[in-house]
Formats: sequence, structure tokens, C-alpha cells
Amino acid sequence: MKTYKQPSTVGRFGEFGGMYVSETLMPLLLNLDKSYKKIQKDKKFKKELNDLFKNYVGRPSSLHYAKNLSKYINGPKVYFKRDELNHTGAHKINNCLGQILLAKKMGKTRIIAETGAGQHGVATATVCALFGLPCYIYMGSKDIERQKPNVFRMKLLGATIIPVESGSKSLKDAMNEALRDWIKNVRDTFYIIGSTAGPHPYPKMVRDFQSVIGKEAREQILKVEKKLPDYLIACVGGGSNAMGLFYPFLNDKKVKIIGVEAAGRGAKTEETAATMTSGTPGILHGSYSYVLQDNDGQIKEAHSISAGLDYPGVGPEHSHLKDIKRVKYFGVTDKEALEAFQTCSKLEGIIPALEPSHALAYLMKAFKNKHKNKVVILNMCGRGDKDLFTAAKAIGFDADE
Amino acid sequence: MQMNNLDTLPKKKILSLFMTCGFPTLSQSKKIFNEMLSHQPDVIEFGLPFSDPMADGPIIQEANKLALSSNLSTQQSLNLIKELSKSKNNTSFVIMCYLNTVRKFGVDKFIKSIKNIVDGIIIVDLPFEEESEIKKSLSKNNIHLIKLISPMTDKKRAQKLLKGSKGFIYYISATGITGSNKLDYKEINKNVKSLKKMSKIPVLVGFGIKSKKDVLEISKKTNADGVIIGSALIQKYFDLKMDINKYLIDLRKFITEVKV
Ligand SMILES: Cc1ncc(COP(=O)(O)O)c(C=O)c1O
Repeated sequence: MKTYKQPSTVGRFGEFGGMYVSETLMPLLLNLDKSYKKIQKDKKFKKELNDLFKNYVGRPSSLHYAKNLSKYINGPKVYFKRDELNHTGAHKINNCLGQILLAKKMGKTRIIAETGAGQHGVATATVCALFGLPCYIYMGSKDIERQKPNVFRMKLLGATIIPVESGSKSLKDAMNEALRDWIKNVRDTFYIIGSTAGPHPYPKMVRDFQSVIGKEAREQILKVEKKLPDYLIACVGGGSNAMGLFYPFLNDKKVKIIGVEAAGRGAKTEETAATMTSGTPGILHGSYSYVLQDNDGQIKEAHSISAGLDYPGVGPEHSHLKDIKRVKYFGVTDKEALEAFQTCSKLEGIIPALEPSHALAYLMKAFKNKHKNKVVILNMCGRGDKDLFTAAKAIGFDADE
Repeated sequence: MQMNNLDTLPKKKILSLFMTCGFPTLSQSKKIFNEMLSHQPDVIEFGLPFSDPMADGPIIQEANKLALSSNLSTQQSLNLIKELSKSKNNTSFVIMCYLNTVRKFGVDKFIKSIKNIVDGIIIVDLPFEEESEIKKSLSKNNIHLIKLISPMTDKKRAQKLLKGSKGFIYYISATGITGSNKLDYKEINKNVKSLKKMSKIPVLVGFGIKSKKDVLEISKKTNADGVIIGSALIQKYFDLKMDINKYLIDLRKFITEVKV
């Protein structure tokens, strides 16, 4: 059996990935890659990061046996990897801590980031507050509207929010603007990308920082079940929480892996964010990967009720895992996700974010009355507080006082 | 093989004008390019509109958006360039675009369509590290791949990038996106000088050149062989409240002015 070893030294996952950026950014990315390689061998860095994981984030996150939900599905035993219990309420903080430590080591004095749901923005603003660095968050004006609680959180944490009015006014456009900021301020600025997307070395670096999720889950499940899980399930936006859970299991060929994308109003409609179901290979944000585009290569606008999944691209490693058939990808609609959001809240007493609600919806649909005696780990990568207004509106509940 | 106009660029005071294809509409775009062409500038750069122009500032972004709002296709842009090439004379035609546009059209098909029409191409997001395949096909068809050099490119890297390079060197005057920044003549001069030691082809300075004054200063205070003007040309359309007739008149005045 061949062990999985991706990406190549130039950032290729099979044919996907790479560095497609202008010459202003190229020297920076090469330098970032070099610095990242260096700190990977640095014991002090590792210790510092582990210490922050433990005492600041509250890691390891627990592995909860969702008994009621399992009973309801009448299928496999379902475990939640509870990264929604992390400080700031999602998995995003794992990556931000890794990157800001790197930024510090590289002597950078100004931090920028893009955000969709606001979770990555909040996590970035949080680590900037902790390390005393100025923080600028690019956020589409449509997302500012639908993720208000997180906008206020970022402001409280001292970040400056820069509304983005171009394009679809959501995550894709926020990333364009953050990249433009970086091109302008190359000398002092570190760009903390929030997912396994963008040019090399980001997809690798973010995966590595997030893989603490899968490493813990592996140990935890071996302890309680005395065996590896039969299935892993996670939602995929840019793909960071999914890669974090999947990566440490990729060589375990018996573990079946499922990624769930947001299909919006349906994967066959124009209003979708299911990149790997409905897209074709192309270049977006410096990386070659599946992308929603027209026949001329113009990037289409994505649609999802979940701001964190509302992205027309996907991390290149997922494209590779899809093509080598190591991971299977499916789409779940807004409606199905909303139902799962409510069911999980009632059954388990856990209000999930709309992003993992997509993974939950797939589980409830595809595993119903099936796969008994099997064990599933689902990445509960974020909590639903940020989505209360969006969900209330969609369900028809008047949440204004 | 047909001649490549870029190989006979003048030695000094080269003027390159950038304009987005299909902006603001396809038929008006034709008028704009005809006006530009009537001045016989040394180079015209044709921007192919892209939905996500990462390295472009708000003005060119807006131009792209307007062009795409009437569903302009890559084929239509290429047809426009082909038609204009009938009256190109000594002007070099250069395409400036993003890689996804070329890949989606099909690299071979794209190169075939612009062969003997276009002299050079700038693919903004195709770095040296990824270029080898495309560069080979281009060179077989006598189209020069124009290299961008930024203030962040160090000497060693610049040397690597410029090896065997043809046409001209596009020196990005400052870190930033198109249409931004103030010009730092000292830094420009220093870097241009160093580039000229590495390569015999002309060095043009682009990004942030807005007026006749800027053009004169570049020529006076630096060693550059010419300038590239883009955003400033497009900006005027918005300044004139999108009145195409007024814009065409203004464009004539502006180009006459900067053709020093
Ligand atoms: C809770 C949560 N899950 C998932 C995502 C999607 O990102 P990724 O696919 O990188 O995990 C987001 C993005 O904001 C998020 O906030």
C-alpha cells in the first residue's frame, strides 16, 4: 500500500494546487514556504502551539457519542468531534494560532484576513488581540448583513472590518480584496488565509494546523471503540475542517471518507456552492482546483444559506482526493441543512452551525436505517450561535425583540 | 515566419497603452481602440476581462465588470483584436489576461487564434515556476511571453526570470495593484538600472502612471525606456459620467499629450 504523501515540493496535490499569483506576491509565497518548513522542525514553536491549544483553545476537544441522534437515525453509532467547543466556537482558531505564531517569527507587524461566516474573522481578531497585532478583516457586505453577531465580536476584539462591495459581496470577493491588500502591503503584512484554499503553501499549512482534529479523534476513538471508525463525515467549504479530520486517516484504507458540500437550492441549479459536484477544474485565488465557472472561465457566484460554505472554489487537496476516489463528495441543500440544524438541536442539545448542519443532513439522509454496527465520526466544527438570526428568518421565527 | 513588432520597438520613450476589451460595450470598445490605434502608439495592451482580476485595482475591475455585464466572450474579444490588427502597422499588440481565461479556452486553440495577430502576451497570474509549457508553445508561434518584475523580485530571481526573455520587461513601479500608489523615482531608477544590466530588451514602467507629468518625470529621472498607461486612460470614462462621445474626444487629447 502506497502511503499518502501530498503535496509535492511545489505545492501540487496530483495535478491540483500550485501557485498562480502575480510576481509581486511570488517572492513572498516562496519566502513563506521556506519559513513554514523551518518552523515545522522547530521544537519551541511546536511547544508554544501545543500550549496555546491546551490552555487557550481548550484542546483536546471531546468526542461525544450522540446517542439520541444515533437512535433516531437507526443506523450507525455516531460520534461528534466537538470542535464547536473550542474558544471562539469553531475549528478556525486552530489554524489562526499556527499562522500568527509564524507571522511573529517572520517579523510581520500587520495581519489581514478574509471571512465569510465571520468565524475565521473572529478567530483571527482573537489571536491578534492575544498577540497585540493590528488586524484588518475583509468581509463581503452580504455576509456582514447575515452574520451580525460575529461582526460585533470582531469589533469588540479590536479588529477593523473592511466591507467588500464587489462581485457577489461574499467570501470569494473578500478573498480577492485581501489578496489585493497583500499585494499593496507586502513588506509588513501577513495574510492569514482561513481555509485550505489559495496558493501554495496555504493549503498544506492550513491542513497541517487543522490536522490536530483528526489526530485527537483517532486516539479518542481507538480508546472508546478499540477500533478505527468506519466512516468520517465533514462539511466542505474551502475544506479546512474536513482536511483536519481526514488527513490523519488517509492511509487507513478501511476508513471510508465523505465530504459534504453546500448545494444551495440544488446542485443542478445555478444557486449552488457544490463545487466538486457541479464545477470543473480551473484557477481561482492562486490555486488550480474544482471551481464553479462558465464556458469562458468566468467564476460564477456561489449560493448557500451558510456563509461559511458560500464559496465557488474548494481546496486543491479535496480535488485530488475526489479524483483518486479516496474521498466521496455529496451535496446537501439549504432546506435539508436547516432541518438537520433543528433536529440536532432538539435531539442532542447541541445547536450546530449551519456548516456542519450540512454534514449532519447527509448523515441523516444516507445512513437512515443503514450501516448498523458501524461507527461514524462527524466533525462538529462550529456552533450555531452566529446563525440564529439567519436560521430564525429561514424557519419563519421572529427573532427581533 | 512573420515579423514580431516587439522586436523593432524604438530605443527610447516607448509608449504602451492598456485598455480592457469590450469596455464599456463591444461596439464602443471598437471605437475606443480605433482612436488609440490612430495615434500609432508603440504598444497597445488588450486586457481580456476576467471575473476575478486579483492584481487589478477598482478602475480596471469596474471596466471588467462592465465588459462582462453584456456577456462578452473570449472569442468576441479575440475577434475584436483580429479585426483591429488589419490597421496595426508598426504598433505591437499585446494581450494581458489571467491564466484561467486561456486554459478554459484551450491553450493550443488560444495560441492558434492569436498567431500572426498578437506579438506578445502577459499572463498576470502565471509565475515563472508554472510557465514552461505555455512558454514553449508561444515561442513556437513567435509570440513573446512578457515578464513582470516587481520591486519584491530580487536580483537572483530577476536573472532567472529574464533568461532568454523577449519583447520588453514590464517593471511594476511599486508594490500594489493597477491604478494605485505614488511613484518613487529613486527606487524605480535603481531597479530599472539593475534590470538593464541583465537584459538587452527595453524596460517599461507601469502601474500608477497618470499624466503627462508622470511620463516626463519617468523619462527624466529614470533609465526606463518607456511607460505603460492603463487605469488613467479608463478612469476618464467614469470622470466624464460614461458619456462615450465626450470620452473619445478626451482620449484623443490625452494620448496626444502623453505621446511626448
Ligand atoms: C463552523 C464552520 N464550519 C465550516 C466552515 C467552512 O470552512 P472549511 O471548509 O474550511 O472548514 C466555516 C467557515 O467559515 C465555519 O465557520
